[in-house]
Amino acid sequence: MDPGDAHLRRGAVRVAIITLSYRYLERLTGVDRGTIIERLPMIGADIERVEEDHADVEFFPDRPDLYSPEGVARAMRGFLGIEVGLPVYDVHPSGITFSVDPGLADIRPCLGSAVIRNVNLDEESIESLMGLQEALHWAVGRGRGKVAIGVHDLDAVRPPFHYIASPRDRSFVPLDFEREMTMEEILVDHPKGRDYAHLVENFPRFPLIVDADDRVLSFPPIINGELTRVTTATKNILLDCTGTDRKAVMTAVNIICTALAEAGASIESVSVDGEEMPTLAPSERLVSVEECSSLLGIPLTPGEMTRLLGRMRFGAEPADDSRIRVEIPCYRADILHDWDIFEDVAIAYGFENFDATLPAVSTIAVEHPVTRIERAARAVMTGLGYIEMIPFTLTNERVLYTNMQRPPLPGTLRLLHPISEEQTVVRTDLLPLLMEALLANKHRDLPQRLFAVGDVVEDCLTYQKVAAVSIHPAADFSEAYAAADVLCRELSIGYSVRESADPAFIDGRRGDIVLDGKVVGVFGEIHPAVLRAFDLEHPVAALALDLRAVPGYPAPPGTPSPGGR
Amino acid sequence: MELTQNEKKLLVALAPLGSADATTLAERMKTRPEAVVQYANLASERGLVEVEKHVALRYLPTEEGQAYIGKGLPERQLFESFGDAIPMRDLQKHPLAKIGIGWMRRKGWITIRDGVVHRTGNAPPGPDEVVFARLGETGEVPAGEEGLLDLVKRGLIREEEAVNYTISLTPAGRDLLAAGLDLREEVGTLTREQILSGAWESLPLRRYDVTKLPRRVYPGKTHPYQRLIDEMRRVLFDMGFAEMSGGIVQSSFWNFDALFQPQDHPAREMQDTFFLAERWPLPEGYERVRDMHEHGGDTSSTGWGGRWSAEKAQQCVLRTHTTGLSIQHLAVHREPPVKAFCIGRVYRREAIDPTHLAEFEQLEGIVMDETVNFRHLLGFLKEFYAKMGFDKVRFRPGYFPYTEPSVEPEVYVEGLGWVELGGAGIFREEVTAPFGIEHPVLAWGLGISRVAMLRLGLRDLRHLYRSDVEWIRETPIYGGGR
Repeated sequence: MDPGDAHLRRGAVRVAIITLSYRYLERLTGVDRGTIIERLPMIGADIERVEEDHADVEFFPDRPDLYSPEGVARAMRGFLGIEVGLPVYDVHPSGITFSVDPGLADIRPCLGSAVIRNVNLDEESIESLMGLQEALHWAVGRGRGKVAIGVHDLDAVRPPFHYIASPRDRSFVPLDFEREMTMEEILVDHPKGRDYAHLVENFPRFPLIVDADDRVLSFPPIINGELTRVTTATKNILLDCTGTDRKAVMTAVNIICTALAEAGASIESVSVDGEEMPTLAPSERLVSVEECSSLLGIPLTPGEMTRLLGRMRFGAEPADDSRIRVEIPCYRADILHDWDIFEDVAIAYGFENFDATLPAVSTIAVEHPVTRIERAARAVMTGLGYIEMIPFTLTNERVLYTNMQRPPLPGTLRLLHPISEEQTVVRTDLLPLLMEALLANKHRDLPQRLFAVGDVVEDCLTYQKVAAVSIHPAADFSEAYAAADVLCRELSIGYSVRESADPAFIDGRRGDIVLDGKVVGVFGEIHPAVLRAFDLEHPVAALALDLRAVPGYPAPPGTPSPGGR
Repeated sequence: MELTQNEKKLLVALAPLGSADATTLAERMKTRPEAVVQYANLASERGLVEVEKHVALRYLPTEEGQAYIGKGLPERQLFESFGDAIPMRDLQKHPLAKIGIGWMRRKGWITIRDGVVHRTGNAPPGPDEVVFARLGETGEVPAGEEGLLDLVKRGLIREEEAVNYTISLTPAGRDLLAAGLDLREEVGTLTREQILSGAWESLPLRRYDVTKLPRRVYPGKTHPYQRLIDEMRRVLFDMGFAEMSGGIVQSSFWNFDALFQPQDHPAREMQDTFFLAERWPLPEGYERVRDMHEHGGDTSSTGWGGRWSAEKAQQCVLRTHTTGLSIQHLAVHREPPVKAFCIGRVYRREAIDPTHLAEFEQLEGIVMDETVNFRHLLGFLKEFYAKMGFDKVRFRPGYFPYTEPSVEPEVYVEGLGWVELGGAGIFREEVTAPFGIEHPVLAWGLGISRVAMLRLGLRDLRHLYRSDVEWIRETPIYGGGR
């Protein structure tokens, strides 16, 4: 199990790296930078870079609430015991209304909104807000498709606001431009338009947000209007989050509102088609102390568990002898299951405080029959003086078929979106890859005897083969036959041989290994045209064998099915 | 050091002469002069003989010159072919006329008047003719003779460097001869007869020089990376794990959905995963997985919400991890305890560079039992890494979509510090419940090519899969302490 996500996080574009300024973080937490840098990884973060005045930190994709310095400070204050328990956010109605056009139902139906007053923005905090927005676009918004976020200078426009399905030729001045453009033009001429055109271009109408005077605030999920640009002079913000998934949209609203509230702003609700939002209220779960205790392997009392949850900024109180009522902050989008809460208990307990120990589980080792057969094949080939290669399983048809003078196998798997011309198909044979290895080692001393054992795939079915090549001036049919013979004998294959028609070999110097009337392998002298196709200059004696011919090779397992308890 | 048989023979041949050239000695020893020089050089290293090299120039007839040997130079032959005078027309019929007339005129032997050639005298032989005649008698002439260079210029004679060696006994050589030499033939290879007959007891067996390096040979061997994989397998067998193996091609259902990876997870986009055109039907009972995604089934989970697409789950991929095999293994081994591992190739749609490959090996281990817990997971990690030679391990919170809690182990590597090595966690109930797995499943995995880089000292991962034969030949099978 890996690392699917760790791997993704390494990918250059989609990493959520948050820049944390020490000065600001120290002000928000009241703790020195040394402690913050030291303890931060223990709540779930990778410190990427430590600089003079800031650190670049990578947080996990399930914790978008940590994508702002305010969110990090909130969590650190709890973790360090400075301020524990549920953060409570007051929300007052703004009296502002927002309507949603039913025509958006099949385009981009969900809208979340809020008013954020008395923000105190400088260049740095605007950049931090934009950073949070971009990180949320990636982690929650799935590249803006699921959720896109817009922040506006509320005082530049006049409520009520309307989220409408607009004709595509409506025009306005988009951010960073000075002239009016139609929405269709924006998709072609504006850099953001080009990046995100695929999200809307097939719809007959486009999503648009306008104010009481029909002035454009935003063309979600593409670009805001220049009209409501947020600057250091902005005092009050209107937030819009549009998307296709209501839960994700509200997650984004809650995370942005609570982050700005932590920075000192006050939050007001907006009436969206009659629904006051956001409430910033926690959700509730009743969890078992015993279940948590046995999952983590540590003895926990309700009191201890309550204390640990408080450090992770949950509201928690014992509900009865065995259960705890947990209030989950509105910004915690990752709590799907009771165990998600138990993980936070483990983090608060401190991973370094767990006594790692082996359980008393008695089991017996079993080698898989396929690897056992592979191991036997390796033993024979190394005994014959061959050196093992472990070639790639991805290759191309030129190596696999054209160079070998063989017709392509119908069961060859082709990648739908290969990344290079070198790797377009999954190998169906090992021999061509060994020929490639001989070419790569052309400058090395002869003789060279190479073999490979491993997976090949045909018609989605994975099985194993062994192949071997021997290159030197005296390599010939007899050498190949002798090697094939001893390999079969040592693997207990009761084979017979007949002349082969494999075009990769020289006519009259090639044999098929036959078992129960089926060809399971081939050996002989490689055809000179094949040698030249691989740019080789000496004769090659070669063999290949399907390991399914070995007695005891297991039948392919059927697919299991999800079953009942 | 003992004399070789050949050196002894040389000394014996030289004994009556004291000093001789290599050619003479070669005749006496019935061998080639080059061989004599080789033996003499060996003996001279021991101070038994002195070897002097002589380089002499000598002159031999060329192919053209050879044709005139015994008959005289062309102008002489032509001169002798007529009396006092001859009409030019007649003289030109002579086969050597073309070369001869010019030379006769140049040497002043003739004058030509009104188409008639007249002798000027009786033309005494010049030095070139004298030396050419001597060449005819002896086959070669030494340098310095008058007339030689003219003949070289005319292409009748060629110059050749002749190297010869004079070999002389030194006093030490004489002393050795006086003391007597054992001249019996040395034996190289013992024969069956010599062993059986007991003849070996009195045979002078040739001695070998141990300071001379042997011919370098290489054994057949498994790949260094395979040896590392086998080492890991042995560690896991030692710990009582059963081995799993399975197909490279998996449906999205098994690769993602069964592991509760949401259908809009970035890993499921075409830029990260190799998708195939093939589709697999969903297994019976897939609805349990669907329900888990949509609303959490009958667990305490909310699920991911939204609609789960059966069509998306059918699309085949090259497995992005072997965790799909783990869940399939557990689905048919529901009775505790289960301890299993798998080492297999996994695929990521990545451009290839020294540290990123589109395919690489991953190790994965699972433990399922009634009472296993997070502390045990850390215990297994610690034990496994220690057995792989990483004694210092520490744990940080991690995130993987299919485990909760999740942990990122780090190991301490001399010179590198703390290195993240793999991931681990307890399978979410959303993963296990649809398959009727009722007990906690500890799971961990690591990309073992990473370990290979650390252990084999590789800078470029590609060398594992496109290997230099020389690297494999020179990498010892047993690498020392580990």
